[in-house]
Amino acid sequence: MLIELKNIIKNYDNGGLITNVLRGINLEVKEGEFMAIMGPSGSGKSTLMHTIGFLDRPTSGEYLFDGIDTKDFTDDELARIRNERIGFVFQSFNLLPRTTVLDNVILPLLYSSSKKGLEQRAKNALEAVGLGERITFMSNQISGGQKQRVAIARALVCDPKVIFADEPTGNLDSKSGSTVMHILEKLNKEGRTIILVTHDINVALHAKRIVTIRDGEIISDRKVLEEERVHSKEAID
Amino acid sequence: MNNLYLKQAIRGVKFNPSRTILTTLGIMIGIGTVILVLSAGEGFKSYINAQVEAFGSNAIIVQTSVPSSTKDRSGSDAAASNEPNNSASNAVPITTLKMRDVVDIKNIPNVKNAYGASIGQQVTSYKNVSKNAFIFGASSARFEIDKGVVEKGRGYTEQEEKALAQVAVLGDKIAQDFFGEEDPLDKFIRIGNYNFKVIGVYEKTGSFDPSNDGSQIVIPVTTLQKKIQGIDYLIYSVVQLKDNKQSDATALDIADLLRRNHYISDPVRDDFKVQTSKESLGTFDTILNAVTFLLIAIASISLVVGGVGVMNIMYVIVTERIGEIGLKKALGARNKDILYEFLYESILLTVIGGIVGIIMGAFFAFLISKIAQGFGLTWAFIVPLWGVVLSVTISAIIGIVFGVFPARNAARLNPIEALNKE
Repeated sequence: MLIELKNIIKNYDNGGLITNVLRGINLEVKEGEFMAIMGPSGSGKSTLMHTIGFLDRPTSGEYLFDGIDTKDFTDDELARIRNERIGFVFQSFNLLPRTTVLDNVILPLLYSSSKKGLEQRAKNALEAVGLGERITFMSNQISGGQKQRVAIARALVCDPKVIFADEPTGNLDSKSGSTVMHILEKLNKEGRTIILVTHDINVALHAKRIVTIRDGEIISDRKVLEEERVHSKEAID
Repeated sequence: MNNLYLKQAIRGVKFNPSRTILTTLGIMIGIGTVILVLSAGEGFKSYINAQVEAFGSNAIIVQTSVPSSTKDRSGSDAAASNEPNNSASNAVPITTLKMRDVVDIKNIPNVKNAYGASIGQQVTSYKNVSKNAFIFGASSARFEIDKGVVEKGRGYTEQEEKALAQVAVLGDKIAQDFFGEEDPLDKFIRIGNYNFKVIGVYEKTGSFDPSNDGSQIVIPVTTLQKKIQGIDYLIYSVVQLKDNKQSDATALDIADLLRRNHYISDPVRDDFKVQTSKESLGTFDTILNAVTFLLIAIASISLVVGGVGVMNIMYVIVTERIGEIGLKKALGARNKDILYEFLYESILLTVIGGIVGIIMGAFFAFLISKIAQGFGLTWAFIVPLWGVVLSVTISAIIGIVFGVFPARNAARLNPIEALNKE
């Protein structure tokens, strides 16, 4: 089991006013899964993703990653897991401005322990998302769809086990969004675990499993039937 | 140096060049002032050294001085400082330094040559032009010892000195004032009640030394003493040494000799002061160092203000880049990485400011040297290397001191909060 959450609780303390964002989440994710976390805004789906992605620590509960309890991990150890085992794709791309596409993809490698062949690894990742030709462009000189593909390349470059995508198509037109989903599908086919966070059922239906969360609790967890799955036909240009 | 941190820092600094310049203005001005003060100080030192050399760098000056014991008794100078107290500027003239002393000094083994001198002030005139001038009476040896060059004509001889000849050698300025385009040689000027033949004119110097600043009139010391002042004593004597390394020992020899000649048993009652050029330079160095220190202390205020400016901007930059910090943390940057990136950026800012400051300070010091040289002064343009190294080091330290708090704030940011701010 890659990810195992047992009774995860997350409370936020806003000056004495405690908000229960996650109220006892139990979840298991196997390696190679393509899972969508769905839910309305404020349901706790982003917090769940941040917790699974080691951007945030749960208030209580047990989190086993690859079979190891992560409770006592230091900040530096968590940073290392984020760097080596996890790739993030955000809704608003979060590329460094005034920096080339290539340097944006190299960025996570700079924080990693193995700094060999940085450029080649970044180029390979960019080729995997069909952007091998644009490496010298500045991050603000390319379209939104291309930006998100750069972000995926950046998530891929350290060869992580899991890729978290938080509303990856939220800021894109349908065609670019379709391309992005196509890439994620392809990556999953190649064996990578993808965890997608979205409020859009049409996006969620690209996944093989949909977990729905409301008010900090999982209210449904179901497999997506092959006939209802949406497959993106959009080729990478 | 870690390449990553430096690269990110350069990227940050390049992000807003005009802000970078404004941010570092305080540092620039502070460091610029430090370099300017140090460099101008060196230039001034080179000027003073040249002055001392013009006097003869291997020279010892003997001047009359009111004994410190007298001063104690009269209570006029309770501080009883050991500073030379020239009798010329004193109410009580010291009359004990005689030409006989100078002759005896010449017999000290390490002494090559020596001259005695007196100073007087007289109304001097040529045709309609009249001036109140300093008259330097000196033995003919002055022309062998002093570096002041008689450009036109000649200096007077020992024979002329013995004969109380009425001959004068003029500084270039006073010669110009009296004669203009006219050739001064063999013309007669009036000093007091006597006519003096001009036999020589000094070359132009940029010196502030009143005995060689261009407005001096030099006549045989005997003539000044006997015909004009009616005295038989000297105000000072300049002693030229054979071996300058022994100047301290020779100075002691001279003091011993003068005490013997003046029947002084207790050095407290010395009516003279023997000063080596090394000592005069030392005194000067002490004063200059104090002034330099003071000016640098003032410049440091600008450095502190500049540092606070950098700190302010670093806080702004951290706030501006909160999203970026969150992203970097999500991608695996440790707190340490973020801390160093911002620290490097703040050091880079202050060092850039420091380097620009060094260039500006050196430029103004260069201008000063050029202006001084334009006035004919021997003024070297020197930027001391240690000053440059010190300035860069200080800049970097300011960067660390004022950058560490903003950088720590950045490093401690929670990645989620930082990401959500985007």
